[in-house]
Amino acid sequence: KENCRPYGRELGEFRTTTVNIGSIATADGSALVKLGNTTVICGVKAEFAAPPADATNKGYIVPNVDLPALCSARFRSGPPGEEAQAASQFIADVIENSQIIMKEELCIANGKLAWVLYCDLICLDYDGNILDAFTCAFLAALKNVQLPKVTINEETGLAEVNFKEKTPLNIRKHPIATSFAIFDDTLLIVDPTAEEEDLATGSITVVMDEDGRLCSVHKPGGSGLTGAKLQDCITRAVTRHKEVKKLMDTTTESVKLK
Amino acid sequence: PPSQAALSQHGLSLQMRGSRSKTLHDRALVNCQYSMATFSTGERKRRPHGDRKSNEMTQHLKQTFEAAILTQLYPRSQIDIYVQILQADGGNYCACVNAATLAVIDAGIPMRDYVCASSAGFIEDTPLADLNYVEEAAGGPQVALALLPKSDQIALLEMNSRLHEDHLESVIEAASKACKDVYAVLDQVVREHLQEVTTLLGE
Repeated sequence: KENCRPYGRELGEFRTTTVNIGSIATADGSALVKLGNTTVICGVKAEFAAPPADATNKGYIVPNVDLPALCSARFRSGPPGEEAQAASQFIADVIENSQIIMKEELCIANGKLAWVLYCDLICLDYDGNILDAFTCAFLAALKNVQLPKVTINEETGLAEVNFKEKTPLNIRKHPIATSFAIFDDTLLIVDPTAEEEDLATGSITVVMDEDGRLCSVHKPGGSGLTGAKLQDCITRAVTRHKEVKKLMDTTTESVKLK
Repeated sequence: PPSQAALSQHGLSLQMRGSRSKTLHDRALVNCQYSMATFSTGERKRRPHGDRKSNEMTQHLKQTFEAAILTQLYPRSQIDIYVQILQADGGNYCACVNAATLAVIDAGIPMRDYVCASSAGFIEDTPLADLNYVEEAAGGPQVALALLPKSDQIALLEMNSRLHEDHLESVIEAASKACKDVYAVLDQVVREHLQEVTTLLGE
């Protein structure tokens, strides 16, 4: 009725977003993102592997989402539940569709050695809109990754790693997700909390990159949406992209200055 | 220490799921789970939980908190404590205990006292408090101590490797002092938080 949500938040307004990059020293790249109370952390570890047989010049990026019992009472401990698996697949799709990194750049020696980037995303506090938080944390962590220089010794055929020379990854595109909760086919609210998600009749997530290109539109069933409403979502996603990109750039700059 | 642990507590639940047979008729059951993030160690950890070390840690945490929480006040209930290690740099158990103490206090569950933990070792005839990963890996004797600071009662004491009994006292002394220092920090944090919350509630 009053066109706003509890705590006076507007229907199109996001919660306070906080990004912290590089806090986990044991990981090759890491980021912590908070969207209001929703807190997620992404840690990237790089290892060696043989390139896939059908693409000998490519490396791997393997996302894995974990929604442990500690983030919310709705999750039990045990193997990954449906929501965690769906989120993992969502991130994998974003990687494929947005071409965030060229997998060819992860190859060290064609057919012999390549990097595999294990990206583990853990939710520490679940208060809705985890997909947006995960995508943001994933992107920020990748930007934080520094890979050491690897050369293959001609004589022994073994890899020699030079930890003193590190280069960051070449991040080609910056996909950012914007999620909405749908109520009764008409009302759209951005960045739903857990309570709002539980009451919603449907949801939609739009992933955009900086060139204004759609990388992914994820609408898993739920109540219908008109074309015009979808267009509104996309427009909002474009503005959100600018907000988040600016935040991430500021954070990355401040980490570099240290 | 740079070991970072995230913790959550789901307060009390009337024990319904799981085996009914585990329900205790006269007190609450304390259930812990210790898990390490795959990126928390130098080498990527493939099994976050379920391996022997994690199970041992889980047991230790459970025993420590069963000693501290006033479980008799909540019969037929279950208290779940979940700990997740985000970065491991030595003193994992101690970081978990300290984090869990704060979480239990935050959940409003009464305890006998804070439980503060610290590790200590003995290298080159010197007791060292709060060992980091490199110091632990050096292989010398290590003691993990969980203390109830006000009453000076030991909730858990674990020692590995070999230590001459003449040196034991000084090592425990070093760990105790570190525990009391941790207690001072935890207490201050709790009081500040409480002040903030009561100010906000009062508005």
